[in-house]
Amino acid sequence: MLAVLAAVLCSCSDAGSGQGAGRTVIKYWEKWTGFEADAMRAAVDDFNANQNRIFVEYSSVSQIDRRLMLATSGGVPPDVAGIWSKSLPVYAENNALTPLDKFAGEAGVSRDRYIDVFWKMCSYRGHLWALPTTPGSLALIWNKKLFREAGLDPERPPQSIAELEQFNEKLVKRRPDGSLASLGFLPAEPGWWNEIWGWWFGGELWNGRDAITANSPGNIAAFQWIESYPRRFGSRDLLALRDGFGNFASPQNPFFTGRVAMVLQGPWIYNFIKNFAPPDFEWGVAPFPSADPARFRNITQVESDVLVIPAGAKHPKEAFEFIQYVNSQKPMEKLCLGQRKFSPLRECSDGFFQKHPNPRIGEFLELAKSPNARFVPQLTVWTLYSNDMTQAFGRVWTGKAGAGEALDEVEQHVQQAFGHQQKRWDRISGTLTKEWNKP
Amino acid sequence: MSRGDKRDLRLGLLFISPWILGFLALCVYPLLSSLFYSMCDYSVLSPAVFVGADNYRQMFFDPIFWRSVYNTIFFAAFAIPLGLLMSLSLAILLNFDLPGKGIFRTVFFLPSLVPMVCLAVLWQWMLNGDVGLVNNMLKPVFHGINGVLGTQLSPPNWLQEARYAKWGVIFTGLWGVGHAVVIYLAGLQGVPRHLYESAEIDGANFWHKTWHITLPVLSPVIYFNTIMGLIGSFQVFAVPYVMTGGGDGPERSLLFMATYLYQNAFDYWNMGYACAIGVALFLLILALTYAATKLSGRHVYYEGK
Amino acid sequence: MQTATKKRFFAFLVFMVLVLAGIAFLAPFAWMVSTSLKPLSETMTLPPRWVPSSFQWRNYPDAIAAMGCFWRYAGNTVFLCVMTVVGTVASSSLAAYGFSRIEWRGRDTVFLVLLATMMIPFPVIMVPIYSLFKSLGWIGGFKPLWVPSFLASAFNVFLLRQFFLTLPKDMSEAARIDGCSEIQIFLRIILPLSKSALLVVALFQFMATWNDFLGPLIFLTEQKDFTLALGLQSFQSQNGGTAWHQLMAASTLVVLPVMALFFFTQRAFVEGIASTGGKN
Repeated sequence: MLAVLAAVLCSCSDAGSGQGAGRTVIKYWEKWTGFEADAMRAAVDDFNANQNRIFVEYSSVSQIDRRLMLATSGGVPPDVAGIWSKSLPVYAENNALTPLDKFAGEAGVSRDRYIDVFWKMCSYRGHLWALPTTPGSLALIWNKKLFREAGLDPERPPQSIAELEQFNEKLVKRRPDGSLASLGFLPAEPGWWNEIWGWWFGGELWNGRDAITANSPGNIAAFQWIESYPRRFGSRDLLALRDGFGNFASPQNPFFTGRVAMVLQGPWIYNFIKNFAPPDFEWGVAPFPSADPARFRNITQVESDVLVIPAGAKHPKEAFEFIQYVNSQKPMEKLCLGQRKFSPLRECSDGFFQKHPNPRIGEFLELAKSPNARFVPQLTVWTLYSNDMTQAFGRVWTGKAGAGEALDEVEQHVQQAFGHQQKRWDRISGTLTKEWNKP
Repeated sequence: MSRGDKRDLRLGLLFISPWILGFLALCVYPLLSSLFYSMCDYSVLSPAVFVGADNYRQMFFDPIFWRSVYNTIFFAAFAIPLGLLMSLSLAILLNFDLPGKGIFRTVFFLPSLVPMVCLAVLWQWMLNGDVGLVNNMLKPVFHGINGVLGTQLSPPNWLQEARYAKWGVIFTGLWGVGHAVVIYLAGLQGVPRHLYESAEIDGANFWHKTWHITLPVLSPVIYFNTIMGLIGSFQVFAVPYVMTGGGDGPERSLLFMATYLYQNAFDYWNMGYACAIGVALFLLILALTYAATKLSGRHVYYEGK
Repeated sequence: MQTATKKRFFAFLVFMVLVLAGIAFLAPFAWMVSTSLKPLSETMTLPPRWVPSSFQWRNYPDAIAAMGCFWRYAGNTVFLCVMTVVGTVASSSLAAYGFSRIEWRGRDTVFLVLLATMMIPFPVIMVPIYSLFKSLGWIGGFKPLWVPSFLASAFNVFLLRQFFLTLPKDMSEAARIDGCSEIQIFLRIILPLSKSALLVVALFQFMATWNDFLGPLIFLTEQKDFTLALGLQSFQSQNGGTAWHQLMAASTLVVLPVMALFFFTQRAFVEGIASTGGKN
């Protein structure tokens, strides 16, 4: 009862008490909640305390892309917004963002400061549109205990797709009635990145210019690998296995209960392991194996939360000063530590790793530094492409279509949509580039 | 027009004037805007560019669009009558003078009040192919059938199989009858009791009374709920969106017209195309409502007309 | 069988059916309350767990604290509910009267147009409506959320029109012959006889505004103006997992007032018109 009363009296804590009088107030919309929001709020408080010209007002905003789109179109955008790196092309091409080149140049922010892939990710059509905040990379995570039990070396992850499948066979467990109890690896778990399997087979999704290459040989090879799963294990059995999986954010997460021994995941898996996995859970992190390890090594997908200045923001200079601050070493490390991710900056203090709760964060960082660290194609039709690839994955997974057929359809559909977007770009590129190049 | 008619016209328009204002500002203007946008290449943040009937041409040849039309009509064809049956029956049952009827009525309305996520969690569990409630109840039935016919059938993974996913959504839609039940309950109060009394004297039983008295008197309300059900089921969006996590379902079997519209508007930044889909959806609902109204003409009884 | 026994058996049957169906309908609510008292690790188990291993009452004050301005949000929500209920009942009843109790040329055609307006999918008109409010300078305030309710929404007009049509014509005729003006007929005869329908409209509007999430999401910009429904969003996290136990605790707190409201008013509108069970 007292606790409730106390909570009542302490409510409205972030109603902006003690606003900077006489300061320029800038609005910052961010998607995070919970401990992630707390980490950024700490950075905001530090910034507000370190100088007295600018006051940053932090707001947790749900469905930030809808609201940002509406607010920007209505001419009332925030000064700083936190979005995802994969959204940059579509926002940029729709003139929703303020180019950051000038500000960066003046402040001495250049690509040397960052791990290469992040600078590339934030650039599009020759301009800088965002700066990263908290990044992630994908790796193979495996359950050491299950390896040991199956007679595999728990310290040795598979080095190639062929080896992955060898391990998979060893780790399969069936029940007396023939149904599947657990598998070594299941591409459909968690099924969050259905578009990129081709990368580990040498496939590309886009030729960088005018052709969507969903049905390139590498991608087809990847989907043939996917196809082999229902062939080997039975489509119905696989569906039944997946239905029996518990929720991701629960102790019944199939990776934690041992129903899959290996998954493709990012550094945040640590948070879930800490909250939900059994206390004796042993796990390892390694680059996800490729089909041809001699040619393709250390392939990963890198993504990042980024900060942008929407077009029409009232205080772009002050907004950049804040973004700049977050992107300097000490505040960035504090932020990434708070969110339990690694830092996108090239320089990283030793203290960062010592203090970091995730014991394997170093592996994720190394992967981001690899020359084969990739990010999703910078296409304005990426969401459509991604949805189509998910559909294609589903069809191949349930045996409704062959790899080639499914990917051909994706290529056709996305190429058409891409063509539309190209026409749109051709129409407006003249005026847009002129505006972006304004001194 | 006679003077009386003119007076009636003036008064009529006066009474509906708040609606007229809302209609012009919040319906006509946005509708005309979106009609215009449906003929443009528009992404909200860039100025609209007129392209004539391009979007409509694209829509006509878009197999995904037609899939969404099929999904929507399929869903509505079953959801509307099932919903009608369910809500009407529940309302009649809840109208009885039973102990705790207040509690019962609240219970049946609760699913309309709890957050969508609670409903989604429940339904995903119920329809789960492995540990779900529905399949656990069906397993003995299938066992029996298999034993008799020698087949190897088993209940489907409802939400993961294209053929059955929509049935899962239709089933879960029945939890949303709360509003219709309440409206029926209010309407049931308007049935003159003396009609029931005279019928009982004539020896009518429960079914007679329901068919010959309750339903005809309730017909304007039934018409209302049917039209609302029609409009609602054609615009079905929230439930499948939450259950699929914003996706299309297996082989796009849960892609409804409203979902496809939303995707085009906000995920693909194709507001122009989305508006074209919106216009198509609007015309579809309009045509069906017109048909329903014409058909109901003979069956709906208005005492005040 | 004796008629009395038949009646009793019938009543018992009805009761059993309601209990069985009731359990199914109660399940989501039961899960919500039970999850609000679980520790985080038990929240999303499959099959769902119905009884927490230990009752975590602290989820409730934790949830209130995590939400930030819980009581402020509640106040905003109540304000909007009152405004929209007043606006809706007033404007919809007036418009419904015009569509049902006065015979004027073109009335039924205009009514079909009204029906048609309900068929427009919202995302399609969302952007033009947003820019309309933007040019009025109302974005960021409460006006876009309650002013439209004073403009008679089609749903409520339709509902009330159907009810008004069940009232016999001769009542209005008699009153007109007696020299009453339309507004007097409206206020003194039609409205009092439609109490149950008006209560339904008021109740539905209250609940719709209480739970409305999309409106506040689009039109409100200052966190201190948020409503409860919008505040509930602050529990959904991306990479750390949602705090389901706290989210359900907050949701239970948000649902309880409307649930109580429904429970106490349903008697009024379902049994309110007890006189002769009819309009005569």
